[in-house]
Amino acid sequence: MCQNCHRSHRMARGRRLFFCLLFTALWLVFFNAPALAHKVMIFAWVEGDTIHTQSKFSGGKRVKGAQVLVFDSEGNQLLEGKTDEQGAFSFKVPKKTDLKVVLRASMGHMAEWKIPAEEITAVGDVSGGSLPEVGVKVATEEAAHSTDVRSSGGLSVPETMGLSRQEVEEIINKCLDRKLTPIIDMLVNAMDRGPKVTEVIGGIGYIFGLVGVALYFANRRKRE
Amino acid sequence: MHISEGVLSPGVLIAGAGLTAAGVAVGLRRLENEEIPSVGILSAAFFVASLVHVPVGPSSVHLILNGLLGLILGWKAFPAILVGLALQALLFQFGGITTLGVNTLNMALPAVVCHYLFSWGVGIGARRLVFILSAFAGGCCAVFLSSMLVGFSLYLTGEAFLPVAKVVVAAHLPVMVIEGGLTAVCALFLRQVKPELLEGAYVPKLSSQPQNGSG
Repeated sequence: MCQNCHRSHRMARGRRLFFCLLFTALWLVFFNAPALAHKVMIFAWVEGDTIHTQSKFSGGKRVKGAQVLVFDSEGNQLLEGKTDEQGAFSFKVPKKTDLKVVLRASMGHMAEWKIPAEEITAVGDVSGGSLPEVGVKVATEEAAHSTDVRSSGGLSVPETMGLSRQEVEEIINKCLDRKLTPIIDMLVNAMDRGPKVTEVIGGIGYIFGLVGVALYFANRRKRE
Repeated sequence: MHISEGVLSPGVLIAGAGLTAAGVAVGLRRLENEEIPSVGILSAAFFVASLVHVPVGPSSVHLILNGLLGLILGWKAFPAILVGLALQALLFQFGGITTLGVNTLNMALPAVVCHYLFSWGVGIGARRLVFILSAFAGGCCAVFLSSMLVGFSLYLTGEAFLPVAKVVVAAHLPVMVIEGGLTAVCALFLRQVKPELLEGAYVPKLSSQPQNGSG
């Protein structure tokens, strides 16, 4: 009788403990849901002659004071720097090639982002190489064209606005950069989504499936 | 705690994969049929634990639970952790497929070490205080050893050991305390409701009982 009492008491305590644990687990999983997990990401975009990078842990916590390395397509290191308090790091375009931006956070976390050469538009003032020449050629071509047009009595756009094609391109690029900034911000924020509930449940399902397969083979072995 | 792809040198990756394969083999050899479900459930617990984020300290850290797995499963923690990490790599992109071997070793080896160090205290026969203290120490110690192993892996790839190890251990100090407490609570809970799990010897007893026909 007394043993029974003792047992039921123990069971009640066990049940209480069980519910405590269950609620703790649920609380931890669901209330921390936006700030989960462990992975780093870096996101880089070009704005004029500057490249901005934003580094985050998955879940949105900014990566502070981590090393950012920039490589060209051959794997030569071009420059390095550290992320600030906001996880951001910006630098001038060092070279018009495919760039690889690598983030090295502490404890063996690493992420990279590739910027193809086509995305780097404002290179005229950076490399100072072949492009201004092209610009000049374009300008002279346009001049020739415009005189041609004028001689035929029409109005030409470059003539009336007094702008070379290169200048127009620069203005458009600047406008686009400004307009695209909020969209880029949205992309940066969208990138850091943590694991979804479906993925979590899927993973648990996989494990139970594996248990089933293991039991199946274990049973077959036993029968043989 | 998950080392990303492309950080470690190929030699470290291969060595880690080899040692993990050996550990998994030992674990699977010791795996009795009756234990398969409990290994699966603990593997699922490990899989989900990494989603519980600990918002303390300079970095972003999460629960690991390898101490609990070690105390209950011993060598069988190797296959359980391997499955959990593989799914984390595939579904959440934590760590990576190439670093799976090293990451499994870093988390499962401390689990086994803690099993040998502390599992004597985590039995049904142990006094309550001893029980709680051993479970706490097991959870704590496993995380500490894992941090050291992460530092060591990075050291083998060419980083200076002491600064890296300091950062990793410092980042995991809150996790160590939380894991210790959680392991103690889980072990106490299991002692109340399912004490057989804590007694490694329950398997022969079960299998020696006459088997009833199915259905």
